[in-house]
Amino acid sequence: MPDSDNDSGGPSNAGGELSSPREQDRFLPIANVSRIMKKALPANAKISKDAKETVQECVSEFISFITGEASDKCQREKRKTINGDDLLWAMTTLGFEDYVEPLKHYLHKFREIEGERAAASAGASGSQQQQQQGELPRGAANAAGYAGYGAPGSGGMMMMMMGQPMYGGSQPQQQPPPPQPPQQQQQHQQHHMAIGGRGGFGQQGGGGGSSSSSGLGRQDRA
Amino acid sequence: MEPNSSIPPPVMGAAVAYPPAAGAAYSAGPYAHAHAALGALYPPPPAPGPPSSHQGGAAAAQLQLFWAEQYREIEATTDFKNHNLPLARIKKIMKADEDVRMIAAEAPVVFARACEMFILELTHRGWAHAEENKRRTLQKSDIAAAVARTEVFDFLVDIVPRDEPRDADPAAAAMGAAAPGIPQHPAAADPTTMGYYYVQPQ
Repeated sequence: MPDSDNDSGGPSNAGGELSSPREQDRFLPIANVSRIMKKALPANAKISKDAKETVQECVSEFISFITGEASDKCQREKRKTINGDDLLWAMTTLGFEDYVEPLKHYLHKFREIEGERAAASAGASGSQQQQQQGELPRGAANAAGYAGYGAPGSGGMMMMMMGQPMYGGSQPQQQPPPPQPPQQQQQHQQHHMAIGGRGGFGQQGGGGGSSSSSGLGRQDRA
Repeated sequence: MEPNSSIPPPVMGAAVAYPPAAGAAYSAGPYAHAHAALGALYPPPPAPGPPSSHQGGAAAAQLQLFWAEQYREIEATTDFKNHNLPLARIKKIMKADEDVRMIAAEAPVVFARACEMFILELTHRGWAHAEENKRRTLQKSDIAAAVARTEVFDFLVDIVPRDEPRDADPAAAAMGAAAPGIPQHPAAADPTTMGYYYVQPQ
């Protein structure tokens, strides 16, 4: 496994190398997968454990399938870093063109917010904290994390250090809803750790509400 | 049959960047076939001999609602640190490929959303099969049926063993028997598959 960074100028992937490969790491957490599956089904539907595990495997294969195509494209173009546009191109090539248009909007918004955060991190971290999650009590940890996330180099480190093999999705946490309640986003996971190699889970532990209920109420499956 | 399946109708002010011609070009490709299968599979007809236009209309309406909701969710997204799927795990799966060297920070974010769409689509198509068999519990055989029926999911045939449906129920077994023909002759197999499952609910 070659060592690599998220950004060209970023630090080495120490966090990634430290975690040993495990069987569980090959799949996304089954609790997360199960929660998303329920959004596609009627309220009284049940999901067998076999079905959850099968979809778990299918999602990992989907990631590898798209990543392989995007990686081939990067190699042909003599580029080292796979970016969001490479993934969208690969999805189009492999038949998932229906996914691409919504994802373009998503990527565009992400880049906008990234730009804002990078600019804000140069300024006051208090403003940054209020802008993102002012209601959370752990202001210091969040502020440090956001500042790190905004900078290109430490942003890469933050991305590599994010994740929770220890928790395995067993602690979903409810986040404050966006300003528009009718379009409340389904946000259950906070994989955010402060810069400085803090091993613990930076987010408050008691934030989980009724994670299985969806405020969106999908109309087409009522 | 919906020719513009790859361009969801803009709702809630969502702008479609693609020109319709590009969308038409895409829909002429493999996904048009998948969309045909989608129209045949989604709504199990409640009465014998329902008109196919009604069935297609219902499926198209469901698709529109799904993509409209995707746009609404994306427009409502203001916090990209909270995902339904852990980014570090996604990155680890990406890096399992030794050819993958460096990954931009935005790549796992895009995948978190794409995987959610993928799970929703796969589960929804699997549920169609469960309903055809009058079950309320989604089984592994339903996922296998969705994979076998949808051309865009061909890359999953090795993940979901095809002998599983044969042990599950007669309809799935018949679907399993028809599955090997789909990759070799998509055009020929599609009418057969549609015809078979059209007869099943009657």
